[in-house]
Amino acid sequence: MPQPQYKVLVCRGTGCVSGGGDGVYEALRAEVEQQGLHNAGIDFVGCHGFCQQGPNVVVEPDGIFYTQVQVEDVAEIVAAHLRDGKPVERLLYRDPLTGMAVPRYSDINFYIKQRRLILRNCGHINPEKIEDYIERDGYRALRKVLGIMTPEQVIEEIRRSGLRGRGGAGASTAMKWQFCHDTPGPIKYVICNADEGDPGAFMDRSILEADPHAMLEGLTICAYAIGADKGYVYARAEYPLAVRRVRIALAQSRERGFLGKNILGSGFDFDIEIKEGAGAFVCGEETALMASIESRRGMPRPRPPFPATSGLDGKPSNINNVKTLAAVPVIMDEGAQWFSEIGTEKSRGTAVFALTGKIANSGLVEVPMGTPLRDVIFDIGDGIPRGKAFKAVQTGGPSGGCIPARFLDRPVDFESLAQLGSIMGSGGMVVLDENTCMVEIARFFLSFTQAESCGKCTPCRLGTRQMLEILTRITQGRGHDGDIDALLDIARVVKSCSLCGLGQTAPNPVITTINYFRDEYEAHIKEKKCPAAVCDALMISPCQHTCPVGVNVPQYVAAITEGQYGKAVEVIRERNPFPAICGRICHHPCEVRCRRGELDDPVAIRSLKRFAADWYFQNMDVDPEPFRRTRDERVAVVGAGPAGLSCAYFLAQMGYGVTVFEALPVGGGMLSVAIPEFRLPREVIQMEIDYIARKGVEIRYGTPINVNYTLDDLKKEGFEAIYIAAGAQRSQRVGIPGEVEGLEGLHYGLRFLRDVKIGREVTVGGRVAVIGGGNVALDSARTALRFGAEEVNIYYRRSRAEMPVSEVEYEQTVAEGVKINFLVSPTRIVTEGWKVSGLQCVQMKLGEPDDSGRRRPIPIEDSGTFIEADTVIAAVGQAPDLSFLPADSALERTRWETLVVDSNTLATNLPGVFAGGDFVTGPGLVIDAIAAGRRGALAIDRYFRRDASPVQMYDLKGEIAQKPAPEETEEEWEAQPRVPMPILPPEERRRSFDEIERGFSEERGREEAKRCLRCDLET
Amino acid sequence: MGEITFFIDGLKIEANEGDTILRAALEQGIYIPHLCYHPDLKPFGGCRLCTIEIEGRGLTISCKTPVEEGVRVITENPQINKARRIAAELIIANHYSECLQCARNTDCRLQDIATYIGIEEGRLQRLKRTVRDLPIDDSNPFFYRDPNKCVLCGICVRTCEEINGVGAIDFAFRGFATKISTLKDKPITESTCESCGECVDRCPTAALARKGSERPAREVKTICPYCGAGCGIYLGVRGDRVLSARGDRQNPVNNGQLCVKGRFGYDFVNHPDRLTTPLIKRNGTFVEASWDEALDLVVAKFKEAREEYGPEALGGLSSARVTNEDNYLFQKLLRSLGTNSIDHCARL
Repeated sequence: MPQPQYKVLVCRGTGCVSGGGDGVYEALRAEVEQQGLHNAGIDFVGCHGFCQQGPNVVVEPDGIFYTQVQVEDVAEIVAAHLRDGKPVERLLYRDPLTGMAVPRYSDINFYIKQRRLILRNCGHINPEKIEDYIERDGYRALRKVLGIMTPEQVIEEIRRSGLRGRGGAGASTAMKWQFCHDTPGPIKYVICNADEGDPGAFMDRSILEADPHAMLEGLTICAYAIGADKGYVYARAEYPLAVRRVRIALAQSRERGFLGKNILGSGFDFDIEIKEGAGAFVCGEETALMASIESRRGMPRPRPPFPATSGLDGKPSNINNVKTLAAVPVIMDEGAQWFSEIGTEKSRGTAVFALTGKIANSGLVEVPMGTPLRDVIFDIGDGIPRGKAFKAVQTGGPSGGCIPARFLDRPVDFESLAQLGSIMGSGGMVVLDENTCMVEIARFFLSFTQAESCGKCTPCRLGTRQMLEILTRITQGRGHDGDIDALLDIARVVKSCSLCGLGQTAPNPVITTINYFRDEYEAHIKEKKCPAAVCDALMISPCQHTCPVGVNVPQYVAAITEGQYGKAVEVIRERNPFPAICGRICHHPCEVRCRRGELDDPVAIRSLKRFAADWYFQNMDVDPEPFRRTRDERVAVVGAGPAGLSCAYFLAQMGYGVTVFEALPVGGGMLSVAIPEFRLPREVIQMEIDYIARKGVEIRYGTPINVNYTLDDLKKEGFEAIYIAAGAQRSQRVGIPGEVEGLEGLHYGLRFLRDVKIGREVTVGGRVAVIGGGNVALDSARTALRFGAEEVNIYYRRSRAEMPVSEVEYEQTVAEGVKINFLVSPTRIVTEGWKVSGLQCVQMKLGEPDDSGRRRPIPIEDSGTFIEADTVIAAVGQAPDLSFLPADSALERTRWETLVVDSNTLATNLPGVFAGGDFVTGPGLVIDAIAAGRRGALAIDRYFRRDASPVQMYDLKGEIAQKPAPEETEEEWEAQPRVPMPILPPEERRRSFDEIERGFSEERGREEAKRCLRCDLET
Repeated sequence: MGEITFFIDGLKIEANEGDTILRAALEQGIYIPHLCYHPDLKPFGGCRLCTIEIEGRGLTISCKTPVEEGVRVITENPQINKARRIAAELIIANHYSECLQCARNTDCRLQDIATYIGIEEGRLQRLKRTVRDLPIDDSNPFFYRDPNKCVLCGICVRTCEEINGVGAIDFAFRGFATKISTLKDKPITESTCESCGECVDRCPTAALARKGSERPAREVKTICPYCGAGCGIYLGVRGDRVLSARGDRQNPVNNGQLCVKGRFGYDFVNHPDRLTTPLIKRNGTFVEASWDEALDLVVAKFKEAREEYGPEALGGLSSARVTNEDNYLFQKLLRSLGTNSIDHCARL
């Protein structure tokens, strides 16, 4: 069998070269020669676009795509693939979902959804060989234009194609050409704008490096159309490789007669000169660019006159972006009709983006205009690395806007992006994940534009500076009321009154982040909190800062590494009196922000907390000293849930006398009544409540506050302040026909869980249907399973992405055999007699996202189905129950039957009466309830001290954090994944209420604690 | 009158084709705030204070927008006011605020704008005071360059280039760091600057200010004594002291422009070494004399020389500082004495 003739193409774009592409190229040549192979030609190409995986090597004719090739891999490629015909599997791209190798270029997800038209030759030709370009039909369009078309026909063809400028503003290319064509004058100029200066953008550079002739051919056609005989390519000097390749291309074009006198015998004379710019961002603006070519300061001037009438040297001139010009030959070649069929009505053709930021596949992509952002980011870009959530995407370079998740389904085109407050720009696309602070990102982009302002006009020079000052102040915790308004005021004036595009777009990041992420600004200004845990000045460590109660995580983790478990618990209790409970069921927002998670896995903070707390209760729990009573005032707390008990605990710590009134015979609130035993055993709750009681908090069980024993009675008894934390314990109704309370077989999730937990008799049938998708739904389903149900189905009207439960809980539920059915919504409860017999359901599909960013489910017509079930558990939400308050109570309520409280002090409209936790916010997370308890305690203390300042929960600087950081040394670092939590296997647990998670051993606990990077020690 | 009719705030305005809205407005006595506009120079469009609205077209700047038949210009509405106020506040927050200590106090275009807009202290406090503490260039004997008072209107740069064709200064650096600079940011005396002071004359603030900030009590209209060009000037006088000079914009010879001598070269007037009476050398030293004595001496010496050596022995040397007419009379005088030997310092 004859050996195939291979062509090996090594990427030598800037990205791959910096990864070692040049070395790979040389090594391949040497190796092929040394092995005496005659069936393989080694050549190089420009950027393929898949820079994330560079250095890339493609072996044609099969299009085998090797990724991350290093010099050491070369011998194997030559021996195995080129000599023996067997591709080297370990170097192939692997699909991140399946882990399967994808040998061919054309089968990789990154490329499948792309339509590479402007980038048609990039990665396929040697940019330093004009023959390669000609072989792929290069200069055919020029031949056609000069041979058979008049300039007017060329412009007409461009008009019919609908081509718009790819430089940012999206002006009609044909109109610009026509305008310049129609201006009389013996001398005209055409200019290619290759002054790409946005951080994170490399579209134009890649084209110049990979396919310079496409741009040169486009520029020549443009010159012919408008009647110019001189052209300039204005490229930045920071692009040495691009400049070199354009020079080579220019020399080769002249040699071949594509430039110079009498081009292709047509009588048309035209030549091109390169002008290297010094790298001022503003020189991308056309009037500034022309000033720079004229050797004047790159400073824009007002238009009119437009360049088409008075441009370079006062002569009619036309400026187009690299991508616009690169599209021209293919339009002339394939025809306007063909081009105009791609894209949307107003934005024809394709868009090129430099995809960067927190994205799995960084690189250069080209998609038809109108492709949804979601496709670009999640299909081509493969989403956000490390399982983090998408937060926003910034399009159009530093002066584009930040677009939040709820607009991910918007199409990418000029108008849609503008509507969202962003711009197409030159094609930068920076993806931001949940660990991005939107105030800081606005500050970052503005710091660039303000430094790059030419300084000519007032709004841009001084307005951007003032905005930067305000943003910097906010990120440093020195923001104050009115800052947001001042920012918007200035931003709007800078946008509407600046002289050129730089100033007119510079405020976009500020305006869009305020529009879409105002709550983050307010958190910085009012609470001095950075929700993304980015702003250094506001925090000591991201974990502590993210924790709603601000537990000094690094310090207790450090205590664990030192074997001081008791001290670890003390550290936790400074902010959280429930270490054992939170060690089991906290949803641990701290771990999402853990810096270790940027390297491999976040530290298992929650599990370490549990380890320390369990050790404490087993070894240390001798009678603790009660807090000393130092204050005369007495406080009543209504409800012994996590919010109430936390408030009581911290008030006692501050020296107040506290009594908790609990309606039930047990404490713990939702913890005791709603969370099943297998997640949180009763003894654990009791130990923590006992501890709080022994610290001096009086708890009166079975003492409901109601019409017989009112808040006024409490006041009369001498309680000078009252904190209401009565929880959200009223199950919400589904609101569908057939839902009648008391039906046999119909349960409400919360009541069902409570009955189980307090030992009431509960009957569960064989086929259980659970309605809902939250914690209560999952817990109800798992509890039903443990009661012997044969089949448990959860019906949720949205999809997994919208479920508000953690990955661990979801996986554990599925592992136990619960089936979760997404996009199904019950429409009726079907009964036989007084007994449930099933559910009538309808299929849903996801529509446009609502304000919460979750996509709204919409019923699919005629998709109704009947589901048989003898037990239905409705778990669609809970609400506070205000019925214990007399109807004529003076306490102000909202429309939604919750109390009106001040968000900072939790004060109600009645002096001395405060309220917090689920009772105010609706069902939430336990750590938020604890935070509300602590906030209430601090507010009540301020109330007694007549201190009107807002409550602020500063991060604690622990003693260890104050030690100087060790000298930084360059260390070899090795990935060390987190220690897994031992759990009961599903077969054992699905019929048992035993706790599933078993906790760390001492050895494993200390091992895990040592993974902490101690970023709190940063100086 | 004008060829184009349009409307400003409902008032009918006539203007010449090619005029800008701002120029037409100012000529009709309608004030629109502006800093970077100067009637002698091409429009610049930098300060953005002259923002107006053209009905149906949105906000634009009046210094750059040509008048058009029938358009309706609005100079005042909430949107314009807000834009103008914020632009002005940005400049003020970035400007030296001790007006009483400033050479241009009460004669400052920025003060005009602050007055027009009406400063609200509470609003200004939202902004950070961003005045920089840059060194003042006092290398030039006649004027200071204080970048801290500069509003970057670019009038000096354009004056130097458009009026004098020298181009000694330009914008330099970027963003907030932008300033007016000589080549390589050297002191002005090390640049190509000719110290004509045209820029100083046009500077809207005290970024360029003459040394010596005393103001004259009155002005005297006169002709510059330096050369025969005969530029019209106003000398600023207090008592018998000359404190300043400025070009007479109505004078057709110079249209208000002056050179370094005319603008700054008046120190000699009050100089203690200045000769105020003729001197006659007696016994080796100069002694003060009356004009009659002096002229009698000259006549006597002339006669003596002519009698002894003939008229050809006489010669006359005239000065560039006298007018053409005086020079004419001078050669007449010498020829009447019988000599053609006349020369002039400008020829040397």
